[in-house]
Amino acid sequence: MEAYTISRDNLRTWLDTLARDYTLIAPVREEETVSLFKPVRGFAEINLGYTNSTVSPKGWLFPQTEEMFFFSTSDGQITLADAQTPGPAVLFGLRPCDIKGILALDPVFNGAYQDCYYQKRRQDTILVGLSCTRVERHCFCTSMGGGPTDGEGADLLLTEMDDGYGIEVLTPRGEELVNRYQQYFDADRENRVIPAREELGKKLARQFTRNVDTTGVKEFLDQHFELPYWGELARRCLGCGICTYICPTCHCFDIFDQSPDGESGVRSRCWDSCMFSHFTRMAGGHNPRPTQKERVRNRFLHKLKYHRDRYNLDGCVGCGRCVTRCPVNIDIRQIIADLQEVARHD
Amino acid sequence: MTKCHCRNPLKPYPATIVKIIDETPDVKTFQMVFDDPEVMENFRQKPGQVAQLSVFGVGEATISITSSPTRKGILEFSVKKVGMLTSALHRLEPGNKVGIRGPYGNHFPYEVMKGKDLLFIGGGIGLAPLRALIDFVLAEENRRDYGKVDIIYGARSMDDLCFKYDILDRWPQMPGTTVYTTIDRTEPGWEGHVGFVPAYLEEINPSPENKYAITCGPPIMIKFVLQALEKMGFSDDQVITTLELKMKCGIGKCGRCNIGSKYVCLDGPVFYLSQLKQLPPEF
Repeated sequence: MEAYTISRDNLRTWLDTLARDYTLIAPVREEETVSLFKPVRGFAEINLGYTNSTVSPKGWLFPQTEEMFFFSTSDGQITLADAQTPGPAVLFGLRPCDIKGILALDPVFNGAYQDCYYQKRRQDTILVGLSCTRVERHCFCTSMGGGPTDGEGADLLLTEMDDGYGIEVLTPRGEELVNRYQQYFDADRENRVIPAREELGKKLARQFTRNVDTTGVKEFLDQHFELPYWGELARRCLGCGICTYICPTCHCFDIFDQSPDGESGVRSRCWDSCMFSHFTRMAGGHNPRPTQKERVRNRFLHKLKYHRDRYNLDGCVGCGRCVTRCPVNIDIRQIIADLQEVARHD
Repeated sequence: MTKCHCRNPLKPYPATIVKIIDETPDVKTFQMVFDDPEVMENFRQKPGQVAQLSVFGVGEATISITSSPTRKGILEFSVKKVGMLTSALHRLEPGNKVGIRGPYGNHFPYEVMKGKDLLFIGGGIGLAPLRALIDFVLAEENRRDYGKVDIIYGARSMDDLCFKYDILDRWPQMPGTTVYTTIDRTEPGWEGHVGFVPAYLEEINPSPENKYAITCGPPIMIKFVLQALEKMGFSDDQVITTLELKMKCGIGKCGRCNIGSKYVCLDGPVFYLSQLKQLPPEF
């Protein structure tokens, strides 16, 4: 596929134009330490210097709270009306781990029953990736089969260069977008873009402070469900659920109705968490995962085994968000290492 | 990206409650009909499948479909009042509107069961999913495909027996069908068997030869029924049960009903005992 370059000035103009033509979702610094993906009106609001957003950008495709449909029960009849969908959007500045997170969500919302809400947003959204420029201490994407300059899954991949950005076109949809705004791009005649990205990738690969080896972990978990280890881990876990909310691949949700007048209202869904005690508790009171031990085990088995069993994809992309945000320092990298250790002594 | 051409699977179809049967003090059977006749015609459930019932403004719950697909033009759901949604359902009256989506999940292996004798073992509201298969098998068009049908059913008291019209009147009169009914403790007016279901099963002591056992009931009953069946020589591939787990979406997205890598809403609710033994004990 083609590669282009864009100057910093042109990038600014291009993004201002994109924000007029599409719903432009990009990383924004909200407060001192929180960065989020949200709709922006132009370049001025975008923070391209972020390493990784506090909350993953999955929320554009699978919103934290999403209206599904409206119902009305007047005159003894039920009328259902679809909620509005946002239309054409560009999700700009996605880090490689978060693009991989979207690839891990795709098969969940696809399949025999297609999730129309996710699918509609996914079809309407162009993904523009942005190579990392530095590696944080919690990053471990390379351990999970990714890399800080991987573009897999994006329509376009931008990489910062000395005099602007390189742009690699990865899909026909990315090509359409570049063609539409070709006045801002220069052809990469000297073939600088790909070598620059590869060079950056090599440089960043050396900056990872912690690599973990996942070899054999899934196979070990296939054979071992009961491990005292989960009980030890659960003693620390507060069950706050932050790990699931910021995770780019967690997809559990609840469905609920709101009806202030009892006759009409809206059915919505919102992110939920398998870390919560009520998550699997049934109306009669029976709870198949009654303590935090079962819940912690479920989450990590989902990341390291179940997602792979169902979709042949890891349920973790190595973004490290759960590592930095866990209030009691539960670290999936340490869990992988510990499981390796337990497996060795098995 | 695959383009989504389907009808939104999370959006229910409007339906009307046409009749409510009081089964026990806390169980009602709701007969429902879709408002759109075309939807009614195209709703092709198989015995053992479940549906999501909506009471708009309250929410949804997964309920097993208790009527056999051989019974056209109507759906039956037998619902025990245990939580918010089921309590809201119990407050409704004939003519009230609800929503239905589905059918979801796998079904009883009625094709594989052909030519076999069938032993049904139910407890309390656990007879509801079994009833879809019993009526399917006993339907005139299917009856010759199956051998002898034995039904063992128990509840805490006479009052707690569901489907009395079936277990006491209709089913015992069907050809090749025997119904064994029991209640936990003796009470005035009851002339039948007294005792727990697993003990009654051991008393009846059915032969496992050429037979499938299909069971559903409270977890404690199922536990002892499975032990009794094993003692009688039933293999794990001859024993079938259905699981109940909290579900929200019913279509394998919301991540709530997983047991290990399986989702009860997609891979269940019907499992062979041999499959159950492969799953982590989280149900």
